[in-house]
Amino acid sequence: MFKIPVSGILLGASKVSTKMFVPSIGLHVSAPMKLKEIHANKVGGKLIIEGAFVPSPRKDHLIQNNNECCPLCSLGLDVKHTDVLILSQFVRSDGCMMPRRVTGLCKTQQKRMSKLVSMAHKAGLMCDLAPANSKKDPSKRKLWKKYNTYYDESTIKVYESHFKTIKDNIILDYMKSKNPEN
Amino acid sequence: MSQLGRVKQWNTFARCWHLFDAAWQNPLECSPTIEKYLKGLNKPIYHPLVDCGDHVVVINSKQIAFPGEEWRRRAYFHHTGYSGGATWTPAWELHDRDPTMIFRKAVYHHMKGNLFRRVVMERLHIFSDSNVPEEVMENITNQIPPLRSIPKTLSSYSKEEIEKYPKIIDYPEDFILSKN
Repeated sequence: MFKIPVSGILLGASKVSTKMFVPSIGLHVSAPMKLKEIHANKVGGKLIIEGAFVPSPRKDHLIQNNNECCPLCSLGLDVKHTDVLILSQFVRSDGCMMPRRVTGLCKTQQKRMSKLVSMAHKAGLMCDLAPANSKKDPSKRKLWKKYNTYYDESTIKVYESHFKTIKDNIILDYMKSKNPEN
Repeated sequence: MSQLGRVKQWNTFARCWHLFDAAWQNPLECSPTIEKYLKGLNKPIYHPLVDCGDHVVVINSKQIAFPGEEWRRRAYFHHTGYSGGATWTPAWELHDRDPTMIFRKAVYHHMKGNLFRRVVMERLHIFSDSNVPEEVMENITNQIPPLRSIPKTLSSYSKEEIEKYPKIIDYPEDFILSKN
């Protein structure tokens, strides 16, 4: 993905070719939906291009997290695959799950949420969040996919090895405390 | 006799008609509940030889739900009687042909196999959608509550509701929401 340095860019633009600003490259002169906007101003013979911050649309309704844990762990919610208002927060406009560096969740919760999101998609609960060419009505899907399905959240298995290492570490610590000489 | 007691007695001795909405309900889970009303197990005068069962009208049987991969894993067996006449049909294929069949089979197979079973099944009326004939609809006096809550889709919420719902995470500073 294209990234801009935090401080604004200044370019002596008279020499810069216009090819750089063709949308196919991924650099845009302005975009209303970005958290960061690129402004281009012409002052005299110079073109000044700068990246400016835009306030986040979620700023007013954000739950503050003062914990060390990830935002979901600290809330202690039992999220089901039918809770589309929560799950849609971790999803892009085309319905795909956002990566961990964007969501900021812990490994376990990220894995769990991605499974719940796929469950909600299969159950046809988040039809609006889908690629433009998809059939949004779940009853128009093929074969068995057109019928209503629900899912059991207890079937989600996340990071069994992760929990196993934690368990092993606890046992090792206990053994060490028993025999401090070894 | 009090007024309530009198109505209770009417309901016990009359043949009541119950409505059940099968949208998003698992037929295998509902069958014990529906059997209770069909046989009259909820009545104090119940006896296997007393004909005290009620009618149950099931609507929206096309919208029944199954868990996980049940739609393709569940197979319905049929044998024509001739050699090589056995067939195993997946649940979704059977539902394509007749949207009331799975529900009827679920209730039928849940009941104990005896001579009364076919008689009791005659009181079960299943409709694939909500278009019920008026002569059936005018008898109905009671609705059986759904066992499963119907999940709400994201499009059923208004745009304001989605925006004002408490947010758990915020976007990072250099995040691009959409590529135009």
